[in-house]
Amino acid sequence: MRRLNQDAIIAILLLLVSGVLFWSTFSIRSPDYGVLAPSAWPRAIIIALAFLSSIYLLQSIKDGASAHDEAENPEKEPGLKAWLVYWKNPISCFILFFLYLVTLPYLGSLIGGVAFVFSVMSLLGGFAPRDMVNHAVLSLITVGGMWSIFTFGLDVILPEGVIFSVF
Amino acid sequence: MVIENVLLAFNELSNFTTIMLMIIGVAGGLIAGAIPGFTIAMAVVLTLPFTFGMEPAQGLATMVSVLVGGLSGGLMAGILTGIPGTPSSVATTFDGYPMAQAGKPGLALGIGVWSSFAGGIISATMLMTLAPQLARIGLEFQPWDYFMLVMFALTITASLAGKNLIKGLIAGVAGLLVRSVGEDEAVGMARLDFGSDALLQGFDFIAVLIGLFAFSRLLKDVRDPVDARRTLSDRGAVSVKIEHLGAIKVILKHWTLLIRSALIGVFTGILPGAGGSIANILAYDQAKKTSKNPEKFGTGTPEGIIAPESSNNAVEGGALMTLMALGIPGDVTAAVMLGALLIHDVVPSPTFIMEEPVLAYSIFIAFFAATFMMLGLQSFMLRVFVLVTKIRMYMLAAIILGFCGIGVFAINNIEFDLWTLLWFGILGFIMRRFGFPLAPMILGVVLGNIAELNLARAMAISTDLSLFVTRPWALFFLIVAFFSAFYPIYQNQIGKKKWTLFYSPLACFAASFPLYMMGGIPRPIIATVILFTGAYLLWRRAQSGWALNSATSDGT
Repeated sequence: MRRLNQDAIIAILLLLVSGVLFWSTFSIRSPDYGVLAPSAWPRAIIIALAFLSSIYLLQSIKDGASAHDEAENPEKEPGLKAWLVYWKNPISCFILFFLYLVTLPYLGSLIGGVAFVFSVMSLLGGFAPRDMVNHAVLSLITVGGMWSIFTFGLDVILPEGVIFSVF
Repeated sequence: MVIENVLLAFNELSNFTTIMLMIIGVAGGLIAGAIPGFTIAMAVVLTLPFTFGMEPAQGLATMVSVLVGGLSGGLMAGILTGIPGTPSSVATTFDGYPMAQAGKPGLALGIGVWSSFAGGIISATMLMTLAPQLARIGLEFQPWDYFMLVMFALTITASLAGKNLIKGLIAGVAGLLVRSVGEDEAVGMARLDFGSDALLQGFDFIAVLIGLFAFSRLLKDVRDPVDARRTLSDRGAVSVKIEHLGAIKVILKHWTLLIRSALIGVFTGILPGAGGSIANILAYDQAKKTSKNPEKFGTGTPEGIIAPESSNNAVEGGALMTLMALGIPGDVTAAVMLGALLIHDVVPSPTFIMEEPVLAYSIFIAFFAATFMMLGLQSFMLRVFVLVTKIRMYMLAAIILGFCGIGVFAINNIEFDLWTLLWFGILGFIMRRFGFPLAPMILGVVLGNIAELNLARAMAISTDLSLFVTRPWALFFLIVAFFSAFYPIYQNQIGKKKWTLFYSPLACFAASFPLYMMGGIPRPIIATVILFTGAYLLWRRAQSGWALNSATSDGT
């Protein structure tokens, strides 16, 4: 029944999103010119999305537990803790990337990038002293190299950050 | 005229910087393609930010080089470790790995490399000769036809999701929706922006592509802490010497198989949504069916390497053909190439080859040149590959994530693109987790504005909606879309339900109808052939007393 719940929940979420988006199309202004109103295309897509989501919902209810595919649902034990343990690595990477973006205006691309790559490597590869040194060297060389290519080779102005701009 | 364009394109590419960039591109593609988990599309999409500052021909030549390298790189990992580097080299491992295990890794690699080379050259030749002809047909397309072509591309891509047809269609529609955020294509009105200035600009589709495809994939690869710390060399990659002469002799012995497989690759590539991952399996299957020794397949037979490797390298020629002649990308990789063209203010359409002949021929020539470079670089890159296999997966993933964090910013120099990358990375990850295919969504994002623009143009010309089903080309795409949407259900029910006996004949009858409507001489002839094929299939089934297994025995 677990899979039924998952698919059905996704279908219901999609229907809710379709509803919210459809409602928001009423605030799209229409100019006096042009045959196709600017809201027509998004509305057509949202209607199609809602229609397909309804079929998906019915299908998930009809198929029930039989649609469950162990390979697609690999968490062995139920519960939030087990789920968090299972998906620890990707979730940590997303959080670290989020932190990289939040600190980007302060740290800039170079310092922030090195810190991000170093943190991801250490988190995924372990915190043994030798590994940490390897991670530090690798992140400095790779991010430093990429930063140099974009800054000096391609003339892209990357975020400098408050700290770097002092120098 | 053609020779003049070829010479001008040669001139455009014949400079030290471009040649060096192409060599680096091929080498990078070979390594990226060889690393399991790093797909070709990922390699091409990650190259894109580097090409912003380049001239269009130079940037596109670099990307084509990465693409060609990536197509051939997958065979190294597949043959030496048994783990395909890319989905398009899955079938190569069926016989390549057993041959390597049997003490002939050099010969297996040689056959793979030379088959890839030959497939690439056949594909490049067809791209160069057929793309302008296809563009001529494309000139007949009016907005109604284009709109239906996009719908066909999305439907067929979704239908390739197999049992997840509904999920594939939802993904495709979601892609269209993502592209409709921001100012509309026709009159520039704000849509679905929820009052946000950042959303008013819309999502940058390169950031969306990298997020959906590369970001989500990398994080999926490091999910398992043990696998994340593993290296490829743990799986037995060893340095070997490629046996070129022995391989050439074997390939020449099976030249018909080579050409047939390359043609399968090209025509699979022309179909929107179908890429190398399908072509290599199709070609392998055909090689096995037509072989005198089918029982040897899976034990290390050369035919089992020639077929998938020549077909997967030929795919991109077909995909680029549709892209350059019609402006419709054949697969995710071609979608990224479309992104590269758009970044350089080049909009592919049927008139592209005529209006921008030097640029178009530069892409053709780059495809040829990169294929030769691939051949020359394989031996050297094999040694680099063995070195790369010593790097742990999590290190590569972290470095590429770091690159995404810098490269995506470089697209428009705005931080919002990095947030787009994060949100779409999360979305892609969730979609993968719940079995939603990403290819239809990516095509939806890429084709969304083309569909809307053509819909707006069609409505501006005439408000008569019947034109979407009465114009020959529009009707043709509608019929093909309809039958491709039902194809997964047909495939599932074949041999079980009576209606499946009528699917293929009916598809033939229906497809011939718009071809008759087009008039002229060749198309009605093709329509007649298709019509007779349908009638023959129906007759065969009637002869077998409408037995349920008659559809499967026909192979249709």
